[in-house]
Amino acid sequence: MPELDRRDFLKLVGVGAGGAAAAGCSDHVEKLIPYVVQPEVITPGMPVFYASTCRECPAACGLHVRTREGRPIKLEGNPDHPVNRGALCGRGQASIGRTYHPDRFRKPQRRGAAGALEDVSWKEATAALAAKIAERPGGTWVLGGATGPSLSDLIDRFVGAVGAGGRLVYEPLSHDALREASRAVFGAAGLPIFDLSGADYVVDLGADCFETWLSPIEHQRQVLEARDLASAEGRAARMVYVGPRLSMTAGNADEWLPAKAGSEGLVALALANVALARRQAAGQPVGGDAGLLAALLAPYTPEKVAEPTGVDAAALRRVGEQLALAKRPVALPPGPGLASSRAVAASAAALILDAVLGAVGRSVGLPPETPATPEPANLAALEALVAAMNAGRVSVLLIHDSNPVYSLPPQLGFRDALAKVGLVVAFASGPDETTELAGLVLPDHTPLESWGDASSRPGVRGVVQPTIRPLFDTQAFGDVLLDTARAMGDAVGAKLPQGSFRGVVEASWGGSFDAVLARGGSFAPAPLRGGAVQAGAAKLAFRVPELVGEGEHALYAPPSPLLYDGRGAALPWLQETPDPVTKISWQSWLELSHASAEALGVEAGDVVAIETPAGRAEAIAFPRGGIRDDVVALAVGQGHSVGLYASHQNDGRPGEARGASAIALLPSVRDEAGGRAWLVSKARITRTGGHARLALMQKSDNKRGRQLGDAVALAALEGDAHASGHAGPHEVRRPFAAAADATDGSAYRWGMTIDVDKCTGCSACTIACSIENNIPTVGEEQVVRSRLMSWLRIERWIGDGTQELRAGRPPYDDHEQLGRIDVRNSPMLCQQCGAAPCEPVCPVLATYHAPEGLNGMIYNRCIGTRYCSNNCPYKVRRFNWFDYAIHNWPDPMPLMLNPDVTVRCQGVMEKCTFCVQRIDLARQTAKNEGRPIADGEVTPACAQTCPSHAIVFGNLRDEGSAAVRTAEAGGVRAYHALHTLNTRPSISYLARVIRDPSSRIDEDGGHAEAGHHANAMTPSQEGTA
Amino acid sequence: MTPPPPEAVAAMIRPAPRRPDSRINRDILSVMEGASLGYWVLLASAVLMVHVAGAIWIYQVYEGLGIAGYVHPVFWGVYIVTFVFWVGIAHAGTLISAILYLFRAKWRNAINRSAEAMTVFAVLTAAQFLGIHVGRIWKSYFILPYPNQRALWVNFKSPLLWDTFAISTYATISAVFLYIGMIPDLAIARDRAVGWRKVLYGALALGWQGTSRHWKAHTRSVLHLSGLATPLVLSVHSVVSWDFAMALVPGWHTTIFGPYFVAGAIFSGFAMVLTMMIPVRRIFGLEEYITDYHLENMSRFLLLTSIIVGYAYASEYFMAWYSGVEAEQTSFWMRAFGPYWISTWIMILCNAVFPQILWFKRVRTHVPTLFVLSVLVNVGMWFERYVIIITGLSREYNPSTWGIYTPSWYELGILAGSFAFFSMFFLVFLKLFPVIAIAEMKELAIHEKAHRQGGAH
Amino acid sequence: MRSTRPRRRLLLATLGVAVASGIALGVAGLWGEGAVAAEPLVATSVCEAHALKARKAEDPSLEIEIPPNFDMPWPTRAACLSHEAALDPNTPGPVQPIPFSHKHHAGLYGVDCQYCHSGTDRSPAAGVPAVETCMGCHSLFPPSYDELSGIRTLKEYWERKQSIPWIQIHRLPEYVQFRHNRHLEAGVDCQACHGAVQDMDKVHLVPDTHWWPWLLPTQKLEMGWCINCHRQNGASQDCLTCHY
Repeated sequence: MPELDRRDFLKLVGVGAGGAAAAGCSDHVEKLIPYVVQPEVITPGMPVFYASTCRECPAACGLHVRTREGRPIKLEGNPDHPVNRGALCGRGQASIGRTYHPDRFRKPQRRGAAGALEDVSWKEATAALAAKIAERPGGTWVLGGATGPSLSDLIDRFVGAVGAGGRLVYEPLSHDALREASRAVFGAAGLPIFDLSGADYVVDLGADCFETWLSPIEHQRQVLEARDLASAEGRAARMVYVGPRLSMTAGNADEWLPAKAGSEGLVALALANVALARRQAAGQPVGGDAGLLAALLAPYTPEKVAEPTGVDAAALRRVGEQLALAKRPVALPPGPGLASSRAVAASAAALILDAVLGAVGRSVGLPPETPATPEPANLAALEALVAAMNAGRVSVLLIHDSNPVYSLPPQLGFRDALAKVGLVVAFASGPDETTELAGLVLPDHTPLESWGDASSRPGVRGVVQPTIRPLFDTQAFGDVLLDTARAMGDAVGAKLPQGSFRGVVEASWGGSFDAVLARGGSFAPAPLRGGAVQAGAAKLAFRVPELVGEGEHALYAPPSPLLYDGRGAALPWLQETPDPVTKISWQSWLELSHASAEALGVEAGDVVAIETPAGRAEAIAFPRGGIRDDVVALAVGQGHSVGLYASHQNDGRPGEARGASAIALLPSVRDEAGGRAWLVSKARITRTGGHARLALMQKSDNKRGRQLGDAVALAALEGDAHASGHAGPHEVRRPFAAAADATDGSAYRWGMTIDVDKCTGCSACTIACSIENNIPTVGEEQVVRSRLMSWLRIERWIGDGTQELRAGRPPYDDHEQLGRIDVRNSPMLCQQCGAAPCEPVCPVLATYHAPEGLNGMIYNRCIGTRYCSNNCPYKVRRFNWFDYAIHNWPDPMPLMLNPDVTVRCQGVMEKCTFCVQRIDLARQTAKNEGRPIADGEVTPACAQTCPSHAIVFGNLRDEGSAAVRTAEAGGVRAYHALHTLNTRPSISYLARVIRDPSSRIDEDGGHAEAGHHANAMTPSQEGTA
Repeated sequence: MTPPPPEAVAAMIRPAPRRPDSRINRDILSVMEGASLGYWVLLASAVLMVHVAGAIWIYQVYEGLGIAGYVHPVFWGVYIVTFVFWVGIAHAGTLISAILYLFRAKWRNAINRSAEAMTVFAVLTAAQFLGIHVGRIWKSYFILPYPNQRALWVNFKSPLLWDTFAISTYATISAVFLYIGMIPDLAIARDRAVGWRKVLYGALALGWQGTSRHWKAHTRSVLHLSGLATPLVLSVHSVVSWDFAMALVPGWHTTIFGPYFVAGAIFSGFAMVLTMMIPVRRIFGLEEYITDYHLENMSRFLLLTSIIVGYAYASEYFMAWYSGVEAEQTSFWMRAFGPYWISTWIMILCNAVFPQILWFKRVRTHVPTLFVLSVLVNVGMWFERYVIIITGLSREYNPSTWGIYTPSWYELGILAGSFAFFSMFFLVFLKLFPVIAIAEMKELAIHEKAHRQGGAH
Repeated sequence: MRSTRPRRRLLLATLGVAVASGIALGVAGLWGEGAVAAEPLVATSVCEAHALKARKAEDPSLEIEIPPNFDMPWPTRAACLSHEAALDPNTPGPVQPIPFSHKHHAGLYGVDCQYCHSGTDRSPAAGVPAVETCMGCHSLFPPSYDELSGIRTLKEYWERKQSIPWIQIHRLPEYVQFRHNRHLEAGVDCQACHGAVQDMDKVHLVPDTHWWPWLLPTQKLEMGWCINCHRQNGASQDCLTCHY
C-alpha cells in the first residue's frame, strides 16, 4: 500500500482503545475521537495484519503484526517464512513492548555542559554531527549490531561518502569460533547453516540449539518434527546433549554426557573416531579424505578422551556407534557460552564429526561465498578499535543497535576509551549503559516503526515495514545517516541515494514492492552447500582449555534463554517469565552443584560472592543436581544499572543494578583466532552471609507421583505395557469423554491436546498469552510472594518424583541428577473442567459453566471471595491483589493493550478462557457466512506461537478435529492432569516419551528398544521410590 | 451429652444465706452504677483499637488486598480464620440459654445473660469479616439474592451463600432471645433508675408489670424461642464448616466437619464465657451469684467438649492415613511436621491436652487456673482454624504451587481490632444492662427456700 | 336581603373598571402596531431572511427588506432551525463541539445511517465518520453555508487536520463486548438502542424504561434491558457472549 496511508495512521487513540486502556471496572465519560482521514484498510474494531520481520536476534523470523486502529497489539509468526513457519519465541513475542516502552527517548538529546541530557532539534543535531564528522576525515567510526542488508549497505556507502575511518559490526554472541572453524575445516569462513529437519540423531555439543543458538525456533521445530512418534524414523530419533549443565535444551535430549566444560571438542573427536571406523567398516562414505581423517582422529579414542572429558568411554563408544549407523545424524558445535580459548578447535572438531557422519551438504551447509552482510568483528578487531580510541584517533563514534558498554568485557577498557572520543553518538530508542556515556542521543525508531529488511540465510530475506506511526519524535538510523551526509554538503549527499531510507529499502527489492510487503519478503532458501574436510584442519590443536584465575570452579556464563545477551532485560515480560530451567525471574542466580553448595555451606537463597580476575559480583546461590561439581553457572543478561525494568528503577531504586552481570566477571580473552571467548575464567565463590528471597515460581520439581507430567517409556508404546510409566490402562482418559461437558444443543466443546513430549519449556506461550490477554507484570517483590499473574505456566518436573516427607520448612527441593535426564515440561493452564470445582463455590456465579464447555470467568461480576482459587486443584487462577492494571502499565504501554480483552481491576479473579475473544471473532465470521466454525479456525495465542506445535486446540465434539485426532493417536500416552479428582478436564496431555539412550542400532540402521531397564529414571521405578 | 436431670441439679444447689429480694436487685444492678477510671480506660483503649483497625481496613480497600500476607495458593488467611473463630465463640450463648433451659439446668441462670450478650456481640464481630475479606467490598451486594435489573440470581450451591443466611438468622434469633429474656430485669432497672436511664429502660421494658399474665407470656415465649434456637446451635456452625467440607482441598474435604466444628464452637464458647465472667464476678463482687459451683459446671462442659475435639483431631489423622490418598496423607503429615508444625502443636496442646487437668475437682474449683486455661483454650481454638485453613491450602494437589503464608501486620491489626470491637460492646453492656438475670436468680432463691422446707417443686 | 346591596354595587364597579381598562389597552396596542410598521425589518443573514419570509407568509401586512446577498436558498431554513436547535443548551443531551443535527441529515434528507457510520455492518465497533466524510459533502456546498457557525468549525477542524472530539452518548462499560455488526445482521435497527435519532436535533439518551419482570425499572443500555431483548429474540444469554 502507498506510504501515505501509514503515515496518516490515526492522529489520536482510536475508538475502543480508550476503552481497553482504562481499567475494566471504571465507568467514566469517554470522548469519541474519529479519524481525520480514515485509511481505507482500517475498519475501527477490526484487526489489520501486516507482514514484517523480527529484529530481536540474528535469526530474523517472519512476523505477522496484528494492529488495531493503527496500533500493533500482538506479534505472530509469519507462516510463510521458512525459518519460523508461524511460530515465534518468547523474545519475539515480548519485543512488541519495545515500541511502547515507557523508557523511550521522546526526542533527540545532547549532553549539556552539566553532563545532563537536554533536548535538541533534529536539524541542529544532524548539523552538529555533520560538522563534527567533517572536522576530521578518517576519524569517524560506526559500531553496531547486525542489521539488514539494505541498512548495512547504506552504512558502508555512508562510511565511504563521509570518509569515515571504518565500520565494525558488533554482536556479543557472534560465534567467532564457529566462523573460524568453518574456514579451518572447509576453507569457507562464516556461519555454517544447520538444517536439522529429518535428523534422526542429533548430538548437541553445548550449542543449546533450542535457546539462543543460530536459529532456535527453527531448530526446535525441526528436531521435534524429526522425532515425531507417528513414524518409525520418529520413534528411532535420538538427541544427545554434551555439556556441563542441564540446560533447557539438554532437558529435551534423551541422553546427557556431562563433559567437562570446554572439552566438548574432544568428545566430538572421540565420537568421530568411533564413527569413522564403523562407517569405513560398513563402507559408507565419509566427508573428506578418509586417510586424513583417520590420521587426524587416531589419537582420540574414547579411552584416551574419557579422562580429560570426564565422560565414560563406554558411553562415548556407544554414542559413536549409534551415530555411525543413524540415517541422518548431525552434530552441533558448542555455543558461545562454551567458547573457550580453544573454541575454534572445539567447533572444528564438531564440524569434522559432521563431515565424518556425512552430514555436510545434507544437514550442515557451508557458509555462502558472499555473505549478505559483513561478518561481525571479532575481539581482536574490537581491541584495535579501543586502541584507536585511546590513541585519540577516533573523533566521532556512531553506535547503533547495540549496547557495547554493557556487553563488552570491562577489561577491554571500552568504557574508559569512550571518554577519549570527541563525540559519541548513540542511536538507541531507550536509555542503556551506552547512551549514559553518549554525547548525542539520536533516538532510533523501534523495528515496528521503521523500514528495513533482514536476511536469515541465502535466499531468505524478510522485509521490515512500519505498522504504527512513530509515537515520538524519533528518526530511523538510515534516515539520520542520509540527512547527516546531506548536511555535509551536496558533494557528500550526492554519493548517497536520494529520498528517504524507505526508498533505499524499496529499491533493494526488484519487482513489485507491494507483493513483497504482502508476503513479508522473498523466501527461496538456497540449497545447502556441501564440502570436504581440508588438510588445514589437522593443524588445529585440540585440547582442554586452561582457565585464568584461581578457584575450584569454572565460571560458565550461558546466554539467558529469555534475556539473550542482555537486550531482553529491558522488557518486563522477559524479566518476569520464569527461567525455563530454574523458574527464577527478575533476579540473577548462581547455579552450583549440591556438593559445591555443601562445601561452601550455602543453601538456595544465600547470597554468594563470585570473584574472578575481572572483578567481583554477588548473586543468589541456587544449588541444583543438574550441573557438574567443577562448574558454576551465571546466566548472561542481568546486571543492568539503567532502565526502568532492566535496573531496580521500577522497585523504586533507580540506578541500582538488577542482579549480577556475568559479562563483567569475564576477563577479556581471545580464542586461537582472536575471537571472543566466554568460558575463560575460574571463579572463587564465598558466602557473604546475606540471604535473599528467591523470586521462584516453582519451588519443587517433585510431582510426588501425581498425574501432572506423566511419562511413558518408548518400550511401552512398542507394545510392552508393563514398561509403561502409567499404573495401567484404566488411568488412560480419552479426550472426547470431556466432550459431554457442554450443553446438549452446543456444536462445540472447546478443548486442547498438549503433547508434553513436544514441549521444550521455551515459555513462548506464556509470553504470547500475557500480551494477548493484557496480563500485567507484577515485579520482583510480588513474584517473591508468588503473585505472578500469568495464566499459563510451564511446570518442570523431574521424573515421577518421590513421596518422601521432609520435616520442617522445606527448602527448594530438587531431584536433578548429573548425567540423567527425565525432565517433563508440562504447560499448566485452566483445564476448563467439565466438573469444575471452581464453579459451584462462587456465590455470585462470576465463574460458571458456559454452554460450549468453557469455564466462564466474568470479571465484572466477581467480588473476590477467592473461593474458586482455593478449590482449584490445578491452581491456575490469579487474583488482582493490587490495581496492577493501573500501576503496572505506565504510558505509553496502555496503547498496546488488546481492546478485545477487559483489563481487570483490583480485587478480581482472572484466568485463562482459551482466548475466548478469538473464539468469538471466529464465530462472528462463521455466523456471517452461515456455517459452523471450522477446525483450526480458532487458535489461542499459546498454540499459535508454539515452535514445536505441542499445543493443539479444537472442538472436542468434532471427531475429526486435530485436537481429538492427536489425543487419539496418543493412545496410552493420553492422560488428564490429576484425573483421580474426576474434574473431567478438557485438556488431554500426552505423556513424555522416555527414549532409552542405551537402545542399540542393528546393522540395518533401524533402532531396536533394549527395554527400559537402563534408564534409571523410568517412572515405574521412581513412583515406588 | 445429657446434663443431669433437674431434680439432681436442684439437689446439687447448696443453700445460700437468706436475703430479701431487694438485696439481689441492689447487688446486681450496682454493677451498672458508676464507672471507675479503670473501666473508662478499658473502654477508651477498646474504642481506639477499633478505630485503628478501621483505618487499616479503609487503607486495604483503597490499596488492595495485597497488603495482607496472601501468597499463591493460600488465598484465605487470618480474616477467614478469625471469622470462624468468632462464629464459634457465638455458640455458648445459645447453648446455655436455649438448650440448658430446655433441660431445666437451673445453674445456667447465673451466666445465661452474659452468655447471650456475648453471642450477639460475637456474631456481630464475625459478620465484619465477611466484608473485610472480599476483594471488592463495593460490589459485595451481589451476594444478596434480591431482584435486580441485571436479571441475575445468586448461586445457591455456594456454601458462602449459606454462610450469609446462617449468620444473619443466628444474629436475629440470638438478639431477640437476649432482649426477651431481659425484659423483667429491665423493668426492675426502670423502677430503680432515674433520668435518661429511666426513659431508656421504660421504653425497653415494654410496660412490664410482673403480673402473672406477663410472666405467663414471658415464660412461654422464652420456651418457644429456645425451641427455635436449639437447632440453630447445631446448624450454624455446621454450615460454616461446610465452607471447608464442601471444598476439594485435602484436609478440608472430610465428613466429620459438622460435629467437629459444633463441638469446637461450644468448647471455645464456654471458654470465652469463663474468660469474660471470671474477671467480672471478681471486680463487681458477684461471687455469691456466679458461684464456684457454676464455674465448675462450665469446666465440666469444657472437659467434655475438649474430649470430643481431641477425638476429632485423632480421627482426622486416622482417616488421612486410612484413606490411602497420598495428597491427604502428605497434607496431614505436613500439618504436623511441615512448616506450620508450631500452630498445629499449639492447637493440640491447648485444645486436647491441657483441658484434661479438669478431671480433678481441685482444678475445676481453682478459679485462677480456670481463667488461664480458658484463655489457652481460646488461643488454641483460633489456631485450630488457622491450621485447618492455612495448612490445607499451602500443601495442595499441585506441588508446583506449594507456598508459605505468613500474616502481615495489617491482618494482625484487624485481628486485634476484632477483639477490641467485641469487648467494646461487652463493656458498654455491663454498664447498661443487668449482667445477671435478676428475675431468674430470684426464681432460684424461691426454689432453694422450697427445698429447705423439704418440699419438691 | 338588605345586606347584599352594597356588595352587588361593588361587583358592578369592578366590572366597569375592568372593561374600561381592557378597551384602553386594546387601543394602545393597535397604535403600537402602527408605530412598528413604520420602517421595514432588515435581514442580516440568510437565516434571518428565511425567518422574516416565514413571518411575512403568515402576515402579509408585514414590511420586510432582504438584502440581495442574503436572498438565497442556502443554508436552507431547515438547516438554520436544526443548527439553532442543536445549539440549544436547554434541550436534553450535551452540546457537541459541532451542532450537528441528526434530524436534519438522517431525518429530513434521509441520509442512511451507514453512509456516515460506515463499517458498522462489518465491525463490532460502530464507525464514527472521519472529518473527511463530513467534508465530502460540505466542501461541495455553496460558501453561504459558512454563516452557520457549525460549518465554520467543521472547516477549521479540517484545515487544522484535527479530529472532532465528539462527546460519547451511547456508552457501554469496557467490560461489555458489544457487536454492532451482529446486531445489524440480526435485523435490529439502530433506533432500537439509539432511539429515534432521525428526530433529534441534539442526540441524547432516550430513557426508555422497561419494567423488568420483578417490577424493577431498567433503563436503556442497562444489562437487564439487553437481556430482555435477547430473551425475546432467542439470542444467546450466555455471560461470555458479552463479557470477557
